[in-house]
Amino acid sequence: MNQHFHKKAVKIDIGDGAAIPVRKDAGLFTAWWMTFFGAIAVIVYLCVTQPEPYWRVLKFLPDGVYVTFQVTVLSILLSLVLGLITGLGRLSRNRIINLIASTYVEIIRGIPLLVQLFYIYYALGRLEFFKDLPPMAAAVAAMGICYGAYMGEVFRAGIDSIDKGQSEASRSLGFNRAQTMMYVILPQAWRTILPPVGNEFIALLKDSSLVSVLAVADLMRRGREFASESFLYFEAYTMVALVYLVITLFLSKGVSKMEQRLNYYERD
Amino acid sequence: MNGIRPIIDIKNVYKFFGQLQALNDVSLSINPGEKVVIIGPSGSGKSTLLRSINRLETIDSGSIVVDGKDINGSGSDINLIRQELGMVFQSFNLFPHKTVMGNLTMAPMKLKKVPELEAKKRALALLDKVGIKDKAEVYPSMLSGGQQQRVAIARALAMNPKIMLFDEPTSALDPEMIGEVLDVMVTLAREGMTMVVVTHEMGFAREVASRVVFMDGGELIESRPAAEFFANPQHPRTRAFLDSML
Repeated sequence: MNQHFHKKAVKIDIGDGAAIPVRKDAGLFTAWWMTFFGAIAVIVYLCVTQPEPYWRVLKFLPDGVYVTFQVTVLSILLSLVLGLITGLGRLSRNRIINLIASTYVEIIRGIPLLVQLFYIYYALGRLEFFKDLPPMAAAVAAMGICYGAYMGEVFRAGIDSIDKGQSEASRSLGFNRAQTMMYVILPQAWRTILPPVGNEFIALLKDSSLVSVLAVADLMRRGREFASESFLYFEAYTMVALVYLVITLFLSKGVSKMEQRLNYYERD
Repeated sequence: MNGIRPIIDIKNVYKFFGQLQALNDVSLSINPGEKVVIIGPSGSGKSTLLRSINRLETIDSGSIVVDGKDINGSGSDINLIRQELGMVFQSFNLFPHKTVMGNLTMAPMKLKKVPELEAKKRALALLDKVGIKDKAEVYPSMLSGGQQQRVAIARALAMNPKIMLFDEPTSALDPEMIGEVLDVMVTLAREGMTMVVVTHEMGFAREVASRVVFMDGGELIESRPAAEFFANPQHPRTRAFLDSML
C-alpha cells in the first residue's frame, strides 16, 4: 500500500467535439498545428489569389461569426447552470428530485437537437405565452436545454469520481453537505469534468449552425444568404467551413490551456 | 470516576449493514482526558464504532452522547458537534487541491470565521508541532505518506477539538513512516487530549492507552485499563487475539 491507493484514475470520454490537444500528446499537437495553420493559410491564399469572390465572402461573414459566438456563449452558460443542477439532481438521495433530473436527461437525449429547435420555436411559439419569443431566445433556450442534459451526465460522473474520503474528511471537520460540495468536491471534480465539458463546448459551437433554420443570422445563415444571392455555393460554403474550423480549433486549444492550468496540484 | 461526566457516552448501540450486524449492543463511556485504544480483528466493528461517534455511520438503535449532546438528537446540530471531534483517517484524505496551509486554515476560517492571519499563525504552530513547518506551501501530493498523515492530524487539531478520533492512522503507511506518526500521537496524548484510537499498533496501546477495548464480531468483549488488559486478559477471545498478534 502507498499514499496513492485511494486515488481513482478517472477518464471520461465523450467525443463529439474536435480533439482537444494534450500537452503530452505530441502527435495530436502536430495534427492541431497543421489543421489550424493550414486552414488559415488556405483562407489567406484564396483571398489573396482570388479576392473575387473569396474576399467578398469573407467580408460578408463577421456579423455571422459574432452571432454564432453570442448563441454559443449564452447557450454554454445556460447549459452549465442546467448541467450542474441536473448532475446534482441525479446524485440526490431525494427520490423525486432524482427522478425529475433523470427524466429530463432521458427526454432530451432521445430527441434530435434540430427537432428540439423547431419544437421550441414553432410548436411552443403557437402558445399565447411564447407568441413573441424572439428567434435568438428560442435558439439559446433549445441549445442550452439540450446541452444541459449532456452536461448533467458529465457533472454527475465528475462529482461521482471524487473519493468518498474527501467528503468524509470535510464533513468530519464540520462542513455541511453544501459547503462540502462547494469547497471540496466541485473544485476537484472540475478537473475531471473539464475535458468532456470542453468537448461539449466545441460540439455546441458546431451544432449552433442548426439555429440558422430559425432565421438567426449566424455564420451558417450568412453563408447561406450569400450563396443564395450569388449562386456561388462552392465558394461560400468553402469559406464557411474554413471559418468554423478555425474557430473550433481555437476553442479546443483554449480548453487545453485551461486543463493544464487546472492540473497545478498534480505531481507529474 | 465519581462526579466526572463522561465526554463520550455510548449506550446499547446496534448497527446493521443489510444482513450483517456490525455493532451488537455496544456500550462504552469515556471520560475527559482518557486515551482509549480499540483493538480487534478486521470486521470486528471497531472502525464502525469509531465512525459512529461523529455520525459518519448512523446507528440503528441506542444512543451516543458527546459532551452532553445526543449526536442523533433532533435538537442537536451534528455539524457543530463534529467541530469538537477531530478525525484522522487511514487514507489521510487531505484536500489535494489545497496547499498544506490551505488544508489547515480552510475549516477554521470558513466555519469559525477565524481571521486569515490568525488561522495561518495557528496553522504554522501546529505544523511545527507535527514537525513539518517547512512544508506549509506545498501540495499534499508532494508529501510522503507519513508527512500527509501528520498534516491530517494538524488539520484536525486546527479546529481545536475536545476529542480526537483516529481510524487506523498508520495502517496505510510504509513501515518506516509509522514511527513519526505515532510520535505525534504520543505527544498529543501526553498533553491531555481525549483520544479514541482504532489501531493494530500494540506498542502504542501499551505505551499510551489508559484503557484498551477489545471488540470481536460486533461485540465489545472487554474494556479494561491497559496494564491489566495486556497482563491478564480475561476473555478467551481476547487471549486468542493477543496471541495471534505476537
